[in-house]
Amino acid sequence: MSDALWAALHGVRARRGHAVLVGMGIAMAAAMLATAATVGYGLSTGFSRSAGAADLPDVIARFDAQPAGRIASRIAALPGVAAYTLSDEHTGVQLSAGGDSSGSGVVEEIGPGPRGYSIVSGHDLSDAAGGVVLEQGVASAWGLRVGDTIEVGAFGPQQIVGLAQAPDNVAFPLAEPRLYVMAGALQARLPQLSEAQIQRLSRQLHVSRDEVLRRLARIKRRAQAPGAVNLAKIWLRDPAQLDAVLVQARATGYGVHGLRFITRSGVRVLIDQAAGIVIALLGALSAIALLTAGVMLGAAARAEVQRRLRAIGVRRAIGSTRRQVALVSALEMLIVAVPAAALGVVAGALAANGPDTRLLALLNERGPGGALWLPLAGCFALAVLLPTITSTWPAWRAAGRRPVELLRGAELRGGGRAAARPRRGGLVRLGARLVAARRVRLVATLTMLGASAAFVLLLLALASELSALENDPATLGRRYQLTDSQPASAVQQVRETAGVADAAPRYDVTAVDSFSLGETVDVIAYPGDHTPFEAPPLVDGRRLRGTHEAEVGNGLAQALGLSVSSTLALALPGGDELRLRVSGIVSALDHDGRVAYIPAAALLAHDPSAPEQIAVRLKPGADAASVASRLEGAGGGVSGTRTITGRGDALVRALTAVLRAVALIDGLVCLYTLIQALALTAHERRGTIAVLRASGAGGGGVRLLLAGAALAVVAPAALVAVLLERLLLGPQLGHIAAGYVSLALAAGPVEVAAVIVGLALLSAIAVWWVARRACREPIVAGLP
Amino acid sequence: MREPAITRRQAIAGIVGGTLALWLGACGGGARPSASGSTLESIWGDPSGSGVLRVTGGIPLIDRTDLAPRAAPVAVLATLAHVSDAHVLDAESPARVPFLARLGPPFTSTFRPHETLTAHVLAGAVRAIGALAPDAVIQGGDLIDNAQANELTRSLTVLTGGAVDPGSGAPGYHGIQQAGNPDPFYYRPDLDAPRHPGLLEAATAPFRARGQATGHICPVLGDHDLLVQGIVAPTALTRQIAIGDRAVWELPSHLRVPVTAAASAVSPDGIARPAPVNSLIEQLAADAGVRVTADPDRREHDAAEAVGRLRVAAGGSSGGALLDYSLDLGEHVRLVVLDLVRRGGGSGGLVHAGQPQWLREQLATAGTRWVLVVSHQPLTSSAGGGALLRVLDRHPRVLAAIWGHTHRNRVVPRRSAGGGYWLISTCSLIDFPQQARALQVVATAGGGVALRTWMLDHVSKDGLGDVSRQLAYLDAHGGRPQGFAGGRLDANVILHRA
Repeated sequence: MSDALWAALHGVRARRGHAVLVGMGIAMAAAMLATAATVGYGLSTGFSRSAGAADLPDVIARFDAQPAGRIASRIAALPGVAAYTLSDEHTGVQLSAGGDSSGSGVVEEIGPGPRGYSIVSGHDLSDAAGGVVLEQGVASAWGLRVGDTIEVGAFGPQQIVGLAQAPDNVAFPLAEPRLYVMAGALQARLPQLSEAQIQRLSRQLHVSRDEVLRRLARIKRRAQAPGAVNLAKIWLRDPAQLDAVLVQARATGYGVHGLRFITRSGVRVLIDQAAGIVIALLGALSAIALLTAGVMLGAAARAEVQRRLRAIGVRRAIGSTRRQVALVSALEMLIVAVPAAALGVVAGALAANGPDTRLLALLNERGPGGALWLPLAGCFALAVLLPTITSTWPAWRAAGRRPVELLRGAELRGGGRAAARPRRGGLVRLGARLVAARRVRLVATLTMLGASAAFVLLLLALASELSALENDPATLGRRYQLTDSQPASAVQQVRETAGVADAAPRYDVTAVDSFSLGETVDVIAYPGDHTPFEAPPLVDGRRLRGTHEAEVGNGLAQALGLSVSSTLALALPGGDELRLRVSGIVSALDHDGRVAYIPAAALLAHDPSAPEQIAVRLKPGADAASVASRLEGAGGGVSGTRTITGRGDALVRALTAVLRAVALIDGLVCLYTLIQALALTAHERRGTIAVLRASGAGGGGVRLLLAGAALAVVAPAALVAVLLERLLLGPQLGHIAAGYVSLALAAGPVEVAAVIVGLALLSAIAVWWVARRACREPIVAGLP
Repeated sequence: MREPAITRRQAIAGIVGGTLALWLGACGGGARPSASGSTLESIWGDPSGSGVLRVTGGIPLIDRTDLAPRAAPVAVLATLAHVSDAHVLDAESPARVPFLARLGPPFTSTFRPHETLTAHVLAGAVRAIGALAPDAVIQGGDLIDNAQANELTRSLTVLTGGAVDPGSGAPGYHGIQQAGNPDPFYYRPDLDAPRHPGLLEAATAPFRARGQATGHICPVLGDHDLLVQGIVAPTALTRQIAIGDRAVWELPSHLRVPVTAAASAVSPDGIARPAPVNSLIEQLAADAGVRVTADPDRREHDAAEAVGRLRVAAGGSSGGALLDYSLDLGEHVRLVVLDLVRRGGGSGGLVHAGQPQWLREQLATAGTRWVLVVSHQPLTSSAGGGALLRVLDRHPRVLAAIWGHTHRNRVVPRRSAGGGYWLISTCSLIDFPQQARALQVVATAGGGVALRTWMLDHVSKDGLGDVSRQLAYLDAHGGRPQGFAGGRLDANVILHRA
């Protein structure tokens, strides 16, 4: 073994350049794997980890304020309840600290029982200590720490005793700023506000002085009736029985107005669906990287073994066994692969860790911490084992041949001499022909380079699209950008406006359920197919067809016990009742998912005066402001749709950072592919290069030759990349994401140009690197 | 050549069989329920508190010595079963008011998620009682739910044996629990969890009941047996609704629930005074409702018909307007049955004129027999019940007063000049825990007596009974949250009496 190790070390030392190249490939693949593992593992396990740490309730029920005793008795009657907490949630509270403030703060006065959040810093609330626990997203955004003071509306300054994470919702700034306080603690310290303080609140909240007084009166009324609650968190003994419990909760919910449920499993489904896209993308990228590295390393190993056939024959002739030959080859690869893989894994994990942690924090989730070691160790093992196997196998096979054959077959077969004869087109053409001579490898290289470049293109398109969302209004599932207040009859005129891709009348009314559950329902109607304008993801069933069907949001389905083929009964504002068959359940975020998409004909038959507007979808690249101006010029009142990124720019920034990190590593994979392809060519055609050099061609000539070889690979690869992205990857990802956001993922000219320039740059680097190595070799070493 | 000890075929069969047995065991076959339904052998419980019932070990009898010290049993004098509040109902009847259940107490019993399975549960109870082989089966009142002739026919067929048709109107199920009903307050087994697709069709499909094989059937009259919803004496309006083709399924928006109704609850299955309910019925009659198939079999019977049919089922032929009677079970035990139902309406019990005197006579003629007094409503809460209790207090051979109506298991001692006796309340078959009570009068050493009593689970042959029990357990308005199963001292006990 020690002899084999010594021989392997000697071999690596003797071929340092080759070892560096191989190490680069392994490091690239390992980095890609580690990136995918860091982001993928973090996202896929983030919710479970955070929900477990926070002991997230199985059901969160919100309702209009009710006496605590009334709610407690109803919860106590439910089956399988392990514990519950009743809280009073105040919304629209002015929160301010330092230079930051928000008028839409949420203060949760929590009663005795489990909390449903985890403390990430400081300590939890206690009756004796007082103070508030602040959601970590607010603390992070506003730079607050435990011990700092936060101004809580009329309650005055409060000391922060702890920072919490509750994964039942995304974090600030995606969600409203939230803090927790023990029930009754704030009211006990409710100060009498001076006129100046009232005026200040009026300015901060952007409401009139009378409104401030009304809100204060409401708070005081609540303070005098501390038994009132509007939020219940429920933990079940067996979460698998959730549906049965919800059926009973509904049956006992009569008279509790505004009742709506959020379930742990529902939150998880939403997050998993969103994370699934990113994970699938990263999985595909890492597979490509691994495959690229595997093919390249395998080809390099074959070439290396071919070059060393004579040496192997000599070793076999002097008594080395086949196993010893293979062992030396494996050890040589291990000596290179272990540090390279370790370096790659660490680099990939570090590159992805920052954006990933930010992304998880925005989702109110915890990073994997130490648990990430196992998947990273898996990446390391894969990055070491795969090249070791691909390099050992050719050596094992070669060593199986008789020493005589090996000694005779040590020359490279093929058209080295023939290819060396310059024809028309000079050295560039010769270089191209040298690469093209190895057809199988050329196809593999093209595929790998093309696929990698296509993914870079896709990531660039996605990043641009996400960045565009910061300014371009679009909500999840909402594909129109503007609404025009003109009547439906003006729709044709709107369609003909420059910059408008499509327009349709849109009706929106607020109805209530027919059974006095107190559920308000946002009813949205279009005359035809609503999906070109709004396409929330379908969770179950199918899209509506005909005039007697409806798609309902998951929140509404849960509240009313609706499923596919059941009947939705709504009381419209005019008093008429509308009954429709449920064709599908959609995952909608608006209005807590209590939305229903119905045919306009059904709505208008019962409510001919339903409020109407025109939804306007813009052409790609059209300027919303210009189109709005044109529509207003035609007599319309135009407004933009609510933006995903009104508060979500932080999320977009984090996602963009992740995508850019992945694109960077993918770019490095491209570079490695190019270098490896050129190095293999130079290696195999060392005779040709030596003849060229011997006949007077200097470094420039070699670089021209290699540039031809690079061009032969890069030009078709760029074409493959563009075609692959525009025809397959872009549309596919756009289709997957269609439920959430309308993404135009076909790469534009800017992205294509960026990738072509990038490939050219990478080619130049590869040519320079390989030419330098080739010119270092003595000319005589390459001559036949 | 010697035969091998085990052939290859045997070995393969053994391996396959063993693997199958292991697999079945691993798949949660778990404990099996007692074939006799005896809770001494097994019970349906929820030890993990998850909301799912599982079979666990039985509960042994424990001695209660509140009235006398423990004494060793010498001989069994009589064995009885007490089955109360089966509420066999016509779930498709337009005479029902299920939409009121959402309003909470006292209306919660107007709808139950398992209400289509009442006949199956009664059949399961009869099956369990068959294994007990009692001398008498006390059908403790509220055998039916809504004073309808088809309900009584159905339930008596289950008791006596024959073909039972649990449906009414058109074939199949057409009612509030069908999947097409958008009202989210009703449990719809095809849609809602726990899902049981096809349950409604199975529940309304005719089945054959074996009937009570041994022992006297001793019916006790309950308020639901002859009053609409156990509260209102049938009127021309209610009769018309029952056989008509219009049903009200949804809570009418114009409905005004009388304030007095909410304050007048006495039992879990009704309202004490009929006036508020009469007001509701008049309001509902004006509602358009939905169209259902009319069925004359749904006619509401009057008190005389109900009493007459129950009497015939018990093997009797004639009697007065009240279903009062006594029955000697051999030389040692007498059963005295009292009818406390208000003919004019109201769910609470009422002691009718002459009943104290009649009871005195039954006790006087009992001789040395131990006496069990049975009524539907509790003597302790019935109007005039105090007079009856005073009669019992004076008699030295009264062993127990037994009733149902409250749907709750409860056993309390009553100390008296006569030596004391036990007040026993048995839970219902309709609400969880859906059990009957076995009673065994036992002579003890030293000339005393003891009453051994334990609960019987209904035994399902087709699984429908088990579904009913699980749904009853989940019911947030039902017996689980209200603790109807009672405590450890209310179920499997030996009640000693000197």
